[in-house]
Amino acid sequence: LPAPQSISILSTNMKHFLTWSPVIVQGATVRYSVEFQGEYEREYTNGSWIPISECSLTTATLCNITEDISATVAYKLRVRAQLGATSSPWATTKGFFSPAMTSLTPPELRVVADGHHVLVELADMGSSFQFRVLYWRKGQESRVQQKVMKGLSSVVHLDTVEAGAEYCVKAQTHVEAINRSSSFSPTQCVRAQGDTSMWLVTAL
Amino acid sequence: TCRVSMSLAEIRAAFTAIKANIQARDPIRTLSILSHPHSLHKVKSADRCCITHQLLTFYVDKVFKHCRTEDSFVNRKISSIANSFLSARRRLGQCHEQNNCMCGEESTEKFKQILANYEELNVTSAAMKSLGELDILLDWMDKSR
Repeated sequence: LPAPQSISILSTNMKHFLTWSPVIVQGATVRYSVEFQGEYEREYTNGSWIPISECSLTTATLCNITEDISATVAYKLRVRAQLGATSSPWATTKGFFSPAMTSLTPPELRVVADGHHVLVELADMGSSFQFRVLYWRKGQESRVQQKVMKGLSSVVHLDTVEAGAEYCVKAQTHVEAINRSSSFSPTQCVRAQGDTSMWLVTAL
Repeated sequence: TCRVSMSLAEIRAAFTAIKANIQARDPIRTLSILSHPHSLHKVKSADRCCITHQLLTFYVDKVFKHCRTEDSFVNRKISSIANSFLSARRRLGQCHEQNNCMCGEESTEKFKQILANYEELNVTSAAMKSLGELDILLDWMDKSR
């Protein structure tokens, strides 16, 4: 039974997945088992490996490793194929993986002009994230203001402005555990109305 | 001063998930490794960095590796905590090398007491009891931030 090929880790916004190519055996259902090893295991427990039970004898070719790959240390992962009592050799990730290597995408946000109030709605990213929101009055790009908040979903009041004023907003995420930030989202501008609520979003 | 970012919330969540299982393996309820005779909360703020570094080292070097169980879920959570402690210990170690995390007499004495408590028991019992007391350490670290 050959070992799985093309083993790789997909990691975005601190969610990590191990993937591999299926092992094809005509007329049979091949299953897979995944194990991980952190730096602690290499240095203190003779390089022991720890099975991930949700990905033991699975038919999937994808395993969510987020819960186990939780510290900012170097991890290794391996997967093998199993068919009945037969097991393939282990296929081990080349090099190490650390959560610090995750790719961070800009937050999803929606800017709302609610009468004289400029609000921003941010999609939940989880407790390990922070949002950094920059906002300024259009034409006064040198006077940018900032709000930093937890990465949980929220609607935040940015400012109270007079009717007709146009405000622009952009945001990025920050993960303190790995001390990294995403790029900024596209800038969105809204114009404050009078008393009626207006959902007007202009993307630059 | 040393400022080390450590996701205490994640470590606490991992520990909470296995706390009952671990504490059930510790039959000796009359002894404490971390709190005997004095609580961690009595440590002066000047000594906090050093005590934290010593305790992270204590858990990494002496505790986690003797806590392997037959339960894969428990082992995974212990690995998560152990690797987080290893990462934090490394960063605090850098502070220690720059003499920003000096050990006063009190923290040295306190840590000697913890080691003495630990060595009174056999290794596995001492390690399981120490792991079962992790919330005492996490509470203290939370308050000392």
